[in-house]
Amino acid sequence: MAFQTANNHTLRKALSVLVSVATFLCALLVIAPLAIVFVHLVDKGASSVNWDFFTKLPKPPLEAGGGMANAIAGTLTLLVLASLVGVPIGVLGGVYLSEYGTDRGNWWLRFFGDVLNGVPSIIWGIVVYALIVKPTKTFSAYAGGVALGFLMLPIIMRTTEEVLYLVPQGYREAGLALGIPRWKVIVHIVMSSALKGITTGVLLALARVAGETAPLLFTAFGNSFWNHKLSDPIAALPLQIFAYAISPYDDWHRQAWAGALVLVCFTLVVNVTVRFLTRGKAMRV
Amino acid sequence: MNEYGKHIQPSFDKALDALKEDVLLMATLTERSLNKAMNGLFKRDDDLCAAVIADDQEIDQLEVGVDKDGISIMLRFQPVASDLRQVVSAMKVSGNLERVADQGVNIARRARKLNHAPSLDQLHLLEPMYWEALTIFKDSVRAYSDGEVELALSLKGRDKKLDDFDRKVGEEITAQMAKYPNRITSYLNLIFIARHLERVGDHAKAIGEDAIYAAAAEDVRHQPRAVTSE
Amino acid sequence: MTENPVQNPAQGAVQSPAQNQRDQRTAAAGAPAQGAVEEETPPAAFQVEGLNMWYGKKQALFDITTSIPSKTITAIIGPSGCGKSTFLRCLNRMHELVPHSRTEGTVRLFGQDLYARNTDASIVRRRVGMVFQKSNPFPTMSIGENVVVGLRLNGVRNRALLNERMEQALRMAALWDEVKNDLNRPGMSLSGGQQQRLCIARAIAVEPEVLLMDEPASALDPIATMKIEELTQQLKANYTIVIVTHNMQQASRVSDKTMFFYMGKLIEYGETKRLFFQPSEKKTEDYITGRFG
Repeated sequence: MAFQTANNHTLRKALSVLVSVATFLCALLVIAPLAIVFVHLVDKGASSVNWDFFTKLPKPPLEAGGGMANAIAGTLTLLVLASLVGVPIGVLGGVYLSEYGTDRGNWWLRFFGDVLNGVPSIIWGIVVYALIVKPTKTFSAYAGGVALGFLMLPIIMRTTEEVLYLVPQGYREAGLALGIPRWKVIVHIVMSSALKGITTGVLLALARVAGETAPLLFTAFGNSFWNHKLSDPIAALPLQIFAYAISPYDDWHRQAWAGALVLVCFTLVVNVTVRFLTRGKAMRV
Repeated sequence: MNEYGKHIQPSFDKALDALKEDVLLMATLTERSLNKAMNGLFKRDDDLCAAVIADDQEIDQLEVGVDKDGISIMLRFQPVASDLRQVVSAMKVSGNLERVADQGVNIARRARKLNHAPSLDQLHLLEPMYWEALTIFKDSVRAYSDGEVELALSLKGRDKKLDDFDRKVGEEITAQMAKYPNRITSYLNLIFIARHLERVGDHAKAIGEDAIYAAAAEDVRHQPRAVTSE
Repeated sequence: MTENPVQNPAQGAVQSPAQNQRDQRTAAAGAPAQGAVEEETPPAAFQVEGLNMWYGKKQALFDITTSIPSKTITAIIGPSGCGKSTFLRCLNRMHELVPHSRTEGTVRLFGQDLYARNTDASIVRRRVGMVFQKSNPFPTMSIGENVVVGLRLNGVRNRALLNERMEQALRMAALWDEVKNDLNRPGMSLSGGQQQRLCIARAIAVEPEVLLMDEPASALDPIATMKIEELTQQLKANYTIVIVTHNMQQASRVSDKTMFFYMGKLIEYGETKRLFFQPSEKKTEDYITGRFG
């Protein structure tokens, strides 16, 4: 206290306030794009989001009306297919990393997981094109689902590993000490304790891949009509938005805005659900 | 003093040392009482006898203090093994010392009565008995203080000798009583004094047993033959 | 309890006569007494010979040879890092959870070698249960589910049997009266002391022969601790109990025999009453009287 003069004190206080304000403004700057995007979407697209949008098939160009019902259904179908690929492999991979494996081996596994996470999503599209589309000679929902599934894999593997890591070692010890075989301890005790965390990891991965367009370009390909067989091409919301957006038709532009708004809302809803599910608990992904 | 080394808690060491010092102080005072009582008898000195009776209060208070401190140590430190034995035996020894001091007081009272009567020749019979009792007492205190088990074991036999002594003195003086019936009161007092000295030996033996308990963890009381595993 | 195949203890090892008697009993383990066996010492639950244990390069246990009698409470005391928890975990192979751990030597449970090549660790742990320092009822399960989880995940499906075992285990853990109306509440909703008794019930529901306890009361308040100690005394009638504790008063209150470990070695092992009254080894005396430093 003896060292503080009156001048010193004012200067320090001013500096403190300056830093608080500056960081606050920067935080606002970070959120601003989201707000801007959302406001813009609502402005452009809200009017086009109507019952028809959710129930009608796309009309040919120059015909007014129609909707994106097939694209919405298609996205949901693709997400289900992607989960069938991504969730089992991703979760089990995460279990391996957390419960089994050697220090060395796991290091490499995580490394490759991170690399795969960083692979541009269009590459996945190309890979699945070569693996599935070319041999089957057709674009298909399967291919799209697999591509999205591969995209989900590293995310789910990592989040699963991290929530399993949070499960206290005491539970594993207690389970093993009862003479329960190791795999049962992992499934019934460890994983069930971490179930919420694993689920939120899966939900977040789904929200992430729901908006991916590039991998679907040469796998699902898109469809103007309902998809009746999973071995046929299938529409997806991002694909449809892309196709409409680059078209010269105003009506399609209008619908593209609506589609974008719906997509963003979907992502928002999933994130809010995740926040809700993880409220109050220590496990936050 | 302690071959085991220091406790992590210095307060524990301090408490144990203080307890032992109090017991040894009691022993010194008790020995002094015995001395004074017997000197008061042999030298026909009433002042010495009075001093013994007055000083006994200090010994009694020390006994109370030792018990209190012992309980306090048990509550505070929950001693085990050698520490526990040390505390328990300190409390027991202090009890025995107080009884020895009481015998000293009894001797002093009887000495006063004898001093007011004509002196007796048979007084000299008590001298060797007194020295024996005193030596047994001093040895018992040393056995406790230094943890000398062998010394403590020897006390039992010596106490028996003291018992025999007491019996012989009793017989001789009883014989005298028949011859000089007018001196019966004084003769009785002599016999009682001999009995008090014999009690001193008994209590000293008990102190020895407590010493063995502390040092060797062996309870040798009430056994026909004392055995230790040392 | 399954009949254990007869195993011959190490031939030619130098043993005391009392040890010989215990070995004879071990050899007949599981079989009812044939004719009069006037034996004051109960048969050995554990026979440990030359146990050495390493965590990687670091040796944690040095040449432990001892035997633990059955249906008694044996306490293990010693300063931090002396190996007492490590030794405890070697008795049910829980040390194997630590990577790069290995053991040499034999540990026999009623005559059967726990570390034999074809012995499954899970089966060992069903016979030798464990309760931990921090109570750990499984968070996703109710009280009732927690108690029977060991049975259920080991294949027992019969509802009636599970319920019966659950009540029996909760009664034996002195918890039944407190929870019998709330069996569906989450296991974690109980107090600390109750949680620990729940863990004990869970451990005894699988009917082990031995119960290992690793400082079971060190995280509990004094009243809860007293209840656990009382419970341990009652469990002695049916189980062999080995309890690691850093609380020497607890060891002297609760146990029949006590082991003192120091720097990975077994320094002294004997009757609790005698060890705390007159230890044979100076190190033991120094430790229990608080002269270490």
